[in-house]
Amino acid sequence: MSSPDLHADLCGIRFGNPLVNGSGTLDALAAGTLGLGAFVTKTVTLHPREGNPPVRIAETPAGMVNSIGLANPGLDAFCADHLPRLGELGVPVIASVGGWSPSEYATAVARIGAHPAVAAVELNVSCPNVESGCIAIGTDAGETRALVERCRSETDLPVLAKLSPSVSDVAAIATAAAEGGAHGLVLINTVRGIAIDRDRLRPLLGGGGGGLSGPAIKPIALHAIFHARAATGLPIIGMGGVASAQDCVEFLAAGASLVGIGTSLFADPGLPQRMLPELGRLVRQHGAETIEDLVGVAHPRLSSSTRA
Amino acid sequence: MAAVEAVGAYTLLRLGDDGGDTGAPGQFFMLRAEPAPAAAYLPRAVSAAWAGDGELAFLLDVRGAGTRALTEARTVSVVGPLGRGFDLAAGPSILVGGGIGAAILPWLRRRLEQRGDVRTVLGFRSPEHAVCAGIVDPDATVVLDPVLVTEPLARLLPASATVYACGPDRMLEAVAALCAEHDVPCQLAMEAAMACGFGACYGCAVRLDGTWKRLCIEGPVVEAARVLA
Ligand SMILES: Cc1cc2nc3c(=O)[nH]c(=O)nc-3n(C[C@H](O)[C@H](O)[C@H](O)COP(=O)(O)OP(=O)(O)OC[C@H]3O[C@@H](n4cnc5c(N)ncnc54)[C@H](O)[C@@H]3O)c2cc1C
Ligand SMILES: Cc1cc2nc3c(=O)[nH]c(=O)nc-3n(C[C@H](O)[C@H](O)[C@H](O)COP(=O)(O)O)c2cc1C
Ligand code: FES
Repeated sequence: MSSPDLHADLCGIRFGNPLVNGSGTLDALAAGTLGLGAFVTKTVTLHPREGNPPVRIAETPAGMVNSIGLANPGLDAFCADHLPRLGELGVPVIASVGGWSPSEYATAVARIGAHPAVAAVELNVSCPNVESGCIAIGTDAGETRALVERCRSETDLPVLAKLSPSVSDVAAIATAAAEGGAHGLVLINTVRGIAIDRDRLRPLLGGGGGGLSGPAIKPIALHAIFHARAATGLPIIGMGGVASAQDCVEFLAAGASLVGIGTSLFADPGLPQRMLPELGRLVRQHGAETIEDLVGVAHPRLSSSTRA
Repeated sequence: MAAVEAVGAYTLLRLGDDGGDTGAPGQFFMLRAEPAPAAAYLPRAVSAAWAGDGELAFLLDVRGAGTRALTEARTVSVVGPLGRGFDLAAGPSILVGGGIGAAILPWLRRRLEQRGDVRTVLGFRSPEHAVCAGIVDPDATVVLDPVLVTEPLARLLPASATVYACGPDRMLEAVAALCAEHDVPCQLAMEAAMACGFGACYGCAVRLDGTWKRLCIEGPVVEAARVLA
């Protein structure tokens, strides 16, 4: 029996395998790409950001809350120092962009989108760890639509919108992103959470609240992906608690075309390498030839013709 | 296979060396009990107490779920060596340890002894915690709370020696200030909450050179001047 084809496609980009990192959960320049099929950068903003004061992370049952605060070198240093080196990684690079106003996003998308190292742009409208901007845009359908539309006009590259699960109707926001012209969606960012210091009985994280990630959020992620897919039919990079090849096929079934890993990379950087053979076995076990064959199979109403 | 034994209030965890790189004194490893309990899904950063002769040894202060799971595990996953260890200087050395900070010193002492005279000062909160002084340096000067380890250190300064220190933040600040006062070179092994240990999460922020930096990449051992900057 030949081994199944683990190639994946998203918005016309071809990936050696369907695994990617979640934005902000891998520094490929420090650690390499760990066998992933693509590299997603940490969210970059117009100006450099130091990030929030410690404590920035706290472990919680089957997960963690973080309040990193979008620490990043800023657009200039990112384009001058990081992108040229990222271009040598040998896998497609997806650049994540954040900001406090549509024009900030637009400036960053125009600059980054013009760089040959970048295959697609991801708009982070879902970071819970900054006061305004970002998630404030991504919790409002109208602002999300307008932002995506604006950014689409700044680049010829595929534009993906990364959405938060901490909204009352994720399908409505996904629909707004689709109306704005998003080529694809990335779901989910972290779930809003808070950790209380067991001794001081005060918020533990320096930023107060934070974002929950890890296996604890997997059902929330599957729910968001399932409904965003049903509402829009857009291709999706699905993530949130993925820790095994079994999780990966469940995410594919819910509607993800690529599957992201974040927190579980921290626990086990060897995970992607070990997952891939197991993923191949599972694809076969489900009677599929390719990754694409499993995308969206959990949806009774979807036929293959609706797959973008 | 893991072997576990009590060293006073602390616990010595010895893992069979699988032949991989064991790094150098001051570097650390991310350890996780397998299968990981839900309360300790993330690995714990631990410095090697020593490595060699087919084993990797860690001295643990069992505080919470992660360190407890490590002492009960049949299998431990090991990622590392990670980070930057001590920069071993020529000539005499002074080792300073506070509490579980002593865990990083045995291996360092063995290496430094080949380069010159080594003096060790250690501070602990109780006699049970001080038992581990024997595996760091049988000739160490040991003080117990409320006496601070900076007291015996101050008596050794000024000296033409390099100071290597590991312990709680307050102790490290005091040691750095004392060494700066006497113009003695000083290296600090610091701690921060770490989720990954390899630069991925940005969780381990410490103030270095006046800005937040990732300790797992810049350290955990840093020149004291960078903390004071
Ligand atoms: C470079 C480095 C070397 C270390 N070496 C040793 C050693 O040799 N022996 C030893 O006993 N301990 C060492 N530690 C500390 C050890 O990692 C913590 O004691 C451990 O994380 C506590 O885990 P727990 O399961 O006992 O407690 P829990 O309360 O279950 O977990 C602690 C959680 O809090 C986080 N955390 C918050 N603040 C800190 C902090 N200041 N330091 C570490 N983690 C924090 C951790 O990421 C972890 O997820 C070292 C830490 C670092 C950063
Ligand atoms: C420490 C940390 C930092 C993160 N930083 C970013 C970021 O900069 N931009 C972003 O879009 N998402 C960020 N995320 C969210 C992840 O990309 C991912 O969406 C989320 O963690 C869910 O996946 P997981 O459960 O596999 O970690 C971060 C997550 C963590 C844990
Ligand atoms: S521990 Fe994750 S970046 Fe340092």
